[in-house]
Amino acid sequence: MSFLGGSRSASNGSINPEKIDLAITELDTVTDFFNRMVTSCHNKCISARYADADLNKGEQVCIDRCVSKYNDVQKKVGEVLQARGAANVNASNPASFGSP
Amino acid sequence: MSMPGPSTTPPTNPALDLSGLTWVAKRLKVPSRNTLIFLSVTSSVLGLYIYDRQQCKKIRQEYVDKVKHLSEETTEHLAWPRQVRVYAAKWPGDEDYNQCARYFRKYVKPIFVAAAIDFEIVTGKKHGDLADRIADEIKMRRRLDMGLEEEHRDPRLTPKYKFRSKEVIRQQELDGGIVIVGRPTWKEFVDGLKRGWTESPAKVDHDEILARELEDDGRFDELEPFEEAPPSPAKSFNADFYNTLHQAPPKTTASSPVDPSIPSSIPILPPILFVPFTNCVGFKLIPNMLYDFFNHRYFVQSGAEAAYRLIMRQTRPFNSPSSVSLFNDVSSEVPPTSSSDVDFDNHSERYYKNSLNATEKEVERQRRKYYDELVPKLATARELARHIREPTKDEINYPPPTEVELRAERMEKEKRWRRTLSGWEIVKPSSEVAWDMRFEGLFTVFTDPAEKAESNEDTTTTKSTD
Repeated sequence: MSFLGGSRSASNGSINPEKIDLAITELDTVTDFFNRMVTSCHNKCISARYADADLNKGEQVCIDRCVSKYNDVQKKVGEVLQARGAANVNASNPASFGSP
Repeated sequence: MSMPGPSTTPPTNPALDLSGLTWVAKRLKVPSRNTLIFLSVTSSVLGLYIYDRQQCKKIRQEYVDKVKHLSEETTEHLAWPRQVRVYAAKWPGDEDYNQCARYFRKYVKPIFVAAAIDFEIVTGKKHGDLADRIADEIKMRRRLDMGLEEEHRDPRLTPKYKFRSKEVIRQQELDGGIVIVGRPTWKEFVDGLKRGWTESPAKVDHDEILARELEDDGRFDELEPFEEAPPSPAKSFNADFYNTLHQAPPKTTASSPVDPSIPSSIPILPPILFVPFTNCVGFKLIPNMLYDFFNHRYFVQSGAEAAYRLIMRQTRPFNSPSSVSLFNDVSSEVPPTSSSDVDFDNHSERYYKNSLNATEKEVERQRRKYYDELVPKLATARELARHIREPTKDEINYPPPTEVELRAERMEKEKRWRRTLSGWEIVKPSSEVAWDMRFEGLFTVFTDPAEKAESNEDTTTTKSTD
């Protein structure tokens, strides 16, 4: 939500449609990531038998770890994808890569 | 009158006959001798294994049930769980540096998970890595306290995030604990602690120091006397090379002087949990390995007890070596922990491989071999670089290393040898735990709750007799 505020304040007068598209995509990605993470960690850490409304310590620690792992995995997969994407771009455009 | 011939009927079992179980004798047969041997051996081995694993499960479940109630407490959802640091160094002689960490994960971790205790495992890939890391953390803490560094705030978190202050973090650390798995870890821990609180906290670039030392070593000097003129370009080449090695200077430059005085007292440490562990490495210890395979239940018991001690938070003061020698002449009876806690798990050092004692000689031998082989390589590199001769066909196809590469390679090798030697110095059986006067009264050790109750009774009885 802070990045949206940043981009709005950066544009002065003319609205750049590309930047807005980028912002929308980023928002979609982040929301999707968050929703999936919440669903996955909820399924793993919290049992279906709801004995208490509050989270107990075991569940808190489990959720901490789940979120941390999910984040790490997402980052690593993102890096690998990016590297592969960059390699693909370089492989498919050898001429453009060599030109000054 | 002819005697009746030998009886041809099979021998009957009167017990079976009289009880009416004649079919047993007719249809069931005792298996042959070989079958019996096979069945007894197989079933005894299988039985040992199954019994042991069942007992393991039972013991583990018993301890999990004892501490389960802790994970069912509810606190506010942004509260921090109890956090524990686990140190697990490399075991001497084992290429797998993870063995201590694996022991922790298999035998102690389940109880921690059941009690909702958060832990962080710190391992070292080589000897001395853990000591270095602990020393660096202590120096960072000293710099923080001196105000030379800012507290580290993760930039990815939003500005509104409630960062814990340094005091809160330290209090949570004290509340948690330190777990030490195995005697090499203990030695490295104490060594790192001592170095961290003794050496100056300034940031030190070890690569640069080593580079300067190697520069004066003279291994890359020219041998021929008539090449006096070229050595000056060689020397300036040295300087250029080592300047490229020199990384960006650290933020704390000479403008902010670092107080080099050694602190006289060390702030309190979190209580320590000793987890005894002996790793069997080597051919001679295969009987021990077999025995251990069929007796995992003792490890489960020992690991679970250790975890329980930490969870129940009963602590006792550390038995330091000087206090033990004091009490030896004062008390009439032998105290239950007559040996100092510094000798934790002393017996496990007997199980180190004998070949480790030759580590220093091995490093020396490698060094000599490398430097002997270096001379012709260096000569080739120099000849090719100065175009004294043309490269041969082989050298065109597989270019030999240039002088720069040789220097870099030598630096790497020297670094590795020095680290091996210094790491082994800390961990070898003949070196004592690096005790320091400031460690008196600093450590506390987790103890069994029952033991604490007993020692309470002891102190009350001695008080009453006064």
